[in-house]
Amino acid sequence: MKRYLNGSLLLITILLLTGCAGKRELNDLALVTAVGIDKGEEENSFKVTAQIARPADARGQTGAPSGQTGEPILTIVGQGESLFDAIRDLSSFTTRNVFWAHNQVIVINEDLAKEGIAQVIDFFTRNPELRMRTWVVITPEKASTLVSTVTGLELIPGEAVNKLFRYGEISNVAPNTQILDIQSAYLSQSSQPFIARVTLKEVMVSNKKPEKGPTIKQVDLAGAGVFQEDRLVGILKPEETRALMLFTERLKSGVVTTPCKSKPERTISVELRDQMFQVTPHLKGSQISFTAELDAFVMVVEAGCSFSIDNQEQVTELEQAVEKKLKKEIETTVNKVQKEYKTDVFELGKVFHNDYPGYWKQIADDWEEVFPTVDIKVSVNVEVKDSVLLWEETNSGKKENSAN
Amino acid sequence: MKVQISNGMFMALIINMIYAKAIGVTQGSMAREVGGDIWISTLIATIQGGMIMFLVIFVIRRMPEGDLIDQSARILGKWFGKLVALITFIFFLAAYGPVMSTFVFHLKDYFLPEAPILLFILAAFLLGSYAIYFGVEVIARMALIGVFSIIALNILLMLGSLSEFDIRELRPTFQMGFLRTVWASRHHNTDWAMATIMAGIILPMVANKETWGKMGFAGMGYGMVFIIMWPILEAGVLSPETTAQYIVSCMQMARSAHIGYFIHRYEMIMVAFFALSILTQIMMSLLCASVAMQKILGLKDYRKVILPTAIILNAFGYWINFDKNRAVDFLEGWWVYISIGVAVGLPFLILVMGFFFKKKLKKEIVAEEAK
Repeated sequence: MKRYLNGSLLLITILLLTGCAGKRELNDLALVTAVGIDKGEEENSFKVTAQIARPADARGQTGAPSGQTGEPILTIVGQGESLFDAIRDLSSFTTRNVFWAHNQVIVINEDLAKEGIAQVIDFFTRNPELRMRTWVVITPEKASTLVSTVTGLELIPGEAVNKLFRYGEISNVAPNTQILDIQSAYLSQSSQPFIARVTLKEVMVSNKKPEKGPTIKQVDLAGAGVFQEDRLVGILKPEETRALMLFTERLKSGVVTTPCKSKPERTISVELRDQMFQVTPHLKGSQISFTAELDAFVMVVEAGCSFSIDNQEQVTELEQAVEKKLKKEIETTVNKVQKEYKTDVFELGKVFHNDYPGYWKQIADDWEEVFPTVDIKVSVNVEVKDSVLLWEETNSGKKENSAN
Repeated sequence: MKVQISNGMFMALIINMIYAKAIGVTQGSMAREVGGDIWISTLIATIQGGMIMFLVIFVIRRMPEGDLIDQSARILGKWFGKLVALITFIFFLAAYGPVMSTFVFHLKDYFLPEAPILLFILAAFLLGSYAIYFGVEVIARMALIGVFSIIALNILLMLGSLSEFDIRELRPTFQMGFLRTVWASRHHNTDWAMATIMAGIILPMVANKETWGKMGFAGMGYGMVFIIMWPILEAGVLSPETTAQYIVSCMQMARSAHIGYFIHRYEMIMVAFFALSILTQIMMSLLCASVAMQKILGLKDYRKVILPTAIILNAFGYWINFDKNRAVDFLEGWWVYISIGVAVGLPFLILVMGFFFKKKLKKEIVAEEAK
């Protein structure tokens, strides 16, 4: 009896251990690497563009191996009253099961973003297949066009955008926005979401017609979109975005170029290395204010005029020029966001809440109205600490001889 | 020969018994009430759990050869013993609902959304029944390995999420007030309740009774250390609002963790390493319920009631988890009252009864020792 019982138990266990429940074979999957979301043709509908990798053609060859298409991606468009509906529409003409786990980027058209992206946030954070670290961008172009534009050295556009963010830290022209960050800003009581912006820009020179200059469009990081709850209310240009990123990210580097004092037609460039940015809230009576302080150590990376780190006068002049430029940059962005867009993407509400929890309770519900009225003082302190390899000024020897 | 487990195994059982549900499902429930203060509620619950554990160990020490049910029978007779056994059975029956919610929500929602719930129930039924047939020692040995997987999971998760940690999300403390933070700790108290009532059943099997207290507290201390990392990281990385959004916030945390660009999406790592903890919860709930059932029926061996007990518990687990709203309502509502009521009330009742019937209990113990 015991033997039969053990035998039956073993058989049942074997059935359970096959791992067949909910299985998906790799060669039955259509791997989505980027998704674009536009407004649909009908009112309140969505158009979803999925960029699907063709594994056989995306092996790193740009040419078409025999018997294959030479197209590393397949771009398909589905429409529906909801995102889920539109995605289901895709499966009516894809020969494989659409699989979202490898999606690298979600591209949202700005017209749609102006109407609200709450549904997009909900869908992509509810779905277990998607990664929470997927990049999210907005674009003034059609999302479907952007999704199918091959960029840089990558064969797959989704991978290209992924790498633009991964290796684009030094340019500071667009924030690193992932679906998790957008979700938490949207759910937050005080902070508002912001999303990186990308455009298509003619920056690539055709190998066949190099004389025509850059004619091929590529995906370009181009600032950020700021939101009021889930609606896009304004755009920050690339040069304005660094100031936003100071408030929201830990910036590793950055470049500031200023005109030379001795030769204003030439420039001198410094690279910001160690940056410390601190926002301190203050409360005097019922008056809320903030001090934003940036301390940075910089190194001179290029000098179009005479400069030596040994010359204290030149160093002080340069430090003051960089400080002035950075201060203006931050103030411009703060002003634009605070007075024009009136949306707290700087997370100032959170900072104030941390230090003044009691008073925050009184103003939390009205923060949207209070934020544009608060005083934000900016101070920048820059110290030149390095001039890379050069110690002496780069002057013409002949000129020096003639001077002698 | 009487089955015995070492004190280290007892400690491992406590840690595993708490861990699986406490790191995610519990934190989600608490975050919905106190936001970023979930780590404080977790600490408060640990202190409360420690007091109940102390009470249970104190009660069992009076009659170390018998569990809570045996001691009740000695104090007020067979029928009182059966009543306590019935309460214990109901406790573990109710516990099985949230335990299966943890098991099903992790695996079904994040891995196999198309698989039927019955599959997970069947797997728990088969694995649980098979394990408890071999007794507590086998489960305890597995729990020892479970502690190492918990450590591995914690280290990996820390490496994968510290870079995204924002301390501002944890400030200011007591945002919802002190009393609400204490009140929210009831969700984590339910996890400690399972560990303390389990201790009330298996303590007589633990080898060195002189160190019960020490090991019990060590188990709780280590359990707290392994668990407290989660609410801190969940609030600091996901944000309290996002933690509150999800039923299983630890899986959301795992989905968001990454080491560099190539090791990301920890769901598989998470499930692999926390599997032993959730299996320990399933097995120990089944074992304790079977022991209670055996004592209700007055049998000598619990193995005869494994199948009916497992069928009852799994049927309940299936019914509860078939409807997600029912499952969450139960684990945040009824289960809180049942678990804390039994975990506090039962040892306290036996303590008081033992105090009133001190002489009778002493006489019974002497008679037992003379045999």
